[in-house]
Order: sequence, then structure tokens, then C-alpha cells
Amino acid sequence: MSTYEIKFSVNGNDESLAVRGDETLLRALRRVGYVEVKLSCEGGDCGACAVLLDGVAVNACLVFAAQADGAEITTVRGIGTEDDLHPVQEQLIEKGGVQCGFCTPGIVVSAKALLDENAAPSREDIQRGLAGNLCRCTGYKKIFEAVSAAARQISEGGGS
Amino acid sequence: MEFLRATSVDEALAAAGDGAAFVAGGTNLVPDVLFGRKKIARAVDISRLDELRFIEEADGKIRIGALATVTDLLDSGLIRDAASPLYESALEFAGPLVRNRASVAGNLMDASPAADLAPPLLAQDAVVELASAEGERTLPLSEFFLDYRKTAARPEELMTAVVIDPLGTADRCAYYKLQLRRAMAIAVVGVAVILRMEESVCAEAAIGMGAVAAVPYRARAAEAHLRGKEIGEAEIEAAAAAAADGARPIDDVRASAAYRRKMCGVLVRRLLKKALGMPQIAAV
Repeated sequence: MSTYEIKFSVNGNDESLAVRGDETLLRALRRVGYVEVKLSCEGGDCGACAVLLDGVAVNACLVFAAQADGAEITTVRGIGTEDDLHPVQEQLIEKGGVQCGFCTPGIVVSAKALLDENAAPSREDIQRGLAGNLCRCTGYKKIFEAVSAAARQISEGGGS
Repeated sequence: MEFLRATSVDEALAAAGDGAAFVAGGTNLVPDVLFGRKKIARAVDISRLDELRFIEEADGKIRIGALATVTDLLDSGLIRDAASPLYESALEFAGPLVRNRASVAGNLMDASPAADLAPPLLAQDAVVELASAEGERTLPLSEFFLDYRKTAARPEELMTAVVIDPLGTADRCAYYKLQLRRAMAIAVVGVAVILRMEESVCAEAAIGMGAVAAVPYRARAAEAHLRGKEIGEAEIEAAAAAAADGARPIDDVRASAAYRRKMCGVLVRRLLKKALGMPQIAAV
């Protein structure tokens, strides 16, 4: 089985690893410790493995790791820190948009990508922006409220 | 599985064949490989070939590069204005995480009967450009899908672009994807309708159908009831009946064959009326 030496940066950390040709980016990221990228459907249906790949929100399960050679990857841990949460993270806590938490890393990635493109999203924009992320606990209402509140917080200068 | 990142189209073509598959967005191929649905000897990564990622107007045609993503379609004013059924199909395509990766050519090369982009591209008389080390050729999309997940592309051929004629002020169009939820759903039925009007007469009619046969196809029999006619209730009913009659749907987890066939008629009727600005329910 051929392996390939690849390099990419994750949340600003340079990583070098050997991957099999058919290994997915999701599995490679988890193997080297980025377990905040959640493994669930592995078919692109649930969004739990969403990351920013060169700034674009994608499902890590739908990318061969070798395709990401040279890329800059951002996981949920690169979006905010415990001491300095991103407004999306802050508002998910504030509005009760987290229950079991499994979908939350992917929700945060999709919501950040949405707000970077659209600073004042409508309810429908938010629903469409999160359409690739499944949550089986909350019914989405509080998640949508949190993203809406995060947009307002950003526009009022309350963080990036 | 061997992996090779192509740095040029020529390099990609040289690495093709012998069990190799091109991978761009990977939204179909990666899980197909992971779950063993496809066995490939070599993945030839074309996702960084920026020369294949464009949407441009040239010589009166719209050329969509193979690697234009579904998100690129939504970001294109040209597609929104001059290929609106395609634009609408992109809106209903999966979700943003998938749209950001999935390429136009990948959706066609995967050749799912339910490929969302196929009905509108068929209705807009799309022509696909195929390249191999031997040279290039073009093929109407209506001749591209041969049978269930079988295309006219030879294993070593790479789709490089999709070409359509821009829609103009004489064109009336409508699109609908019948699905079980508004995102991340495989189509139960997909229909795109384009009518070219000359005064009150329909000069050209094109109806693209998806998810109701082994391949996406043009509903030619239905179109024949419209072309050259002043379209009224009778023509619409005849076209709707022909569309239902011509479908070859299957039963699956999403819908029964009987329901799909019925919906072919319902959707063709509804979309023709929508395109022509007619009331959905005739005045009594």
C-alpha cells in the first residue's frame, strides 16, 4: 500500500504526516489528534466533520487527505479559544444552542463561514447556511437564534 | 490506491486509464472508495487545476469549466440571468459544505439518474467537452448518459467544460426539484422546462427530466405537444400526460415508481403554467 508524505497547517500548526492514498482528510486529522473534527456519517450528509479548507467550509470526510497537501485547515479550535470565544461560540452557549454537543464543531465552522460572507443574514439565509449540518437534539431553533445573535454582536463590534 | 496530484491537464490525461479515476471535489468518489462501492487503482487529483475552474461568456455561448463548483454557479450573475433553471437547481443542490466542493463536471460524470444539474443542462441543450491524450471531442449532453451510471466518456477521458446557449428574453423557464426535505436530499423527481416563444407561438420546447429513469433525459414526446403550438390547457395536458407516460421510474426508499410517474405529469403541467404565467388552476 503506497503512502504519501504530506504537509498542511491546522489552526496555524504545521503538520507533516504519511497518509494512504485513500485516507480521508477526516481520518487523517483525527489520527494526528484533531478529534474535535467529528466522525459520523462519512458520506457528506451530517456536517459534523466540517472544517475550513483554505478558507472554504467543506466536509473533511469528502476530501482525500492527500488532496489537502499544502492547504491551510481551520477546525473549530482555530475559530475561538476558551478565553476568547468567537461570537458564534459565545451565543451558542448564551442561547442554549448546544445539547449533546456532537454537531457543534461543524455548526460553528458553517456559521463562521456564513457570517464571513453575509454579515446580516436573514433567518432563511441562516437556515440555508446551516443546511448541511444535522443536529438531532435541539430542533435548530436555538442554533438559528445563536447565529442571528452572533451576527448582531459582530456588527456591534463585539468581537470577530 | 495510488494517488497523484496533476499539475496540468496534460499530466492528468497522461495518468488516466488503467483503473484510474479523476477526483475533483470528491463528494461522490471519496465515500464510494471509502465504503468499497468503487475500486480504483489510482486517483488522479485534478482539484487544483485552476485553468478548468471558470464560468465565461464567449462567442455567444456560456462555457462552464469542469471544475466550476456548484457554489460558483450560485455566485455567477451570468448563470443567474442566462441559465436560471441551472441556477435554481444549484440552490437545491445538497448543502453549502457539499456545494463548495462538488464540481459541475463531477455531477455529470458520476451519472446518477438523480444528478441535480442534469435536467436544466439537458433542457438548455448543453454540450460537453471531453479530452484525452488522443485529442478532444464534443458531445451533446443528451447523448452522454447511456444507461444507469454509464456514460459515453471513455475511461481515459476527462470532461473539461460544459457549454450552453444563454437564455434570452424570448425564453420562459421553470425548474422544480421534488424532494423529501429542502436540503441534503436526493431528488424524487427533477424537472426543468424551457420554452422559446415567438409572439404567442412556442417555437422551441425543452423539458429535462431527472430521477425517473436509469438516466436523466429529454422528454421529447412531451416537447412535441408544445413545439409550434399556441400553448393552452389542451397542449399542457397532452404534454403532461406524455411526460408521465415516458417516465421509467423505479420504486426505492424515497418514493414508489407509481408516485414518481404521477409527479412527472403534475410537475410538467405546473412548470409549463408557471413558465407561461398561467394560473395554476383554470378559472371556472
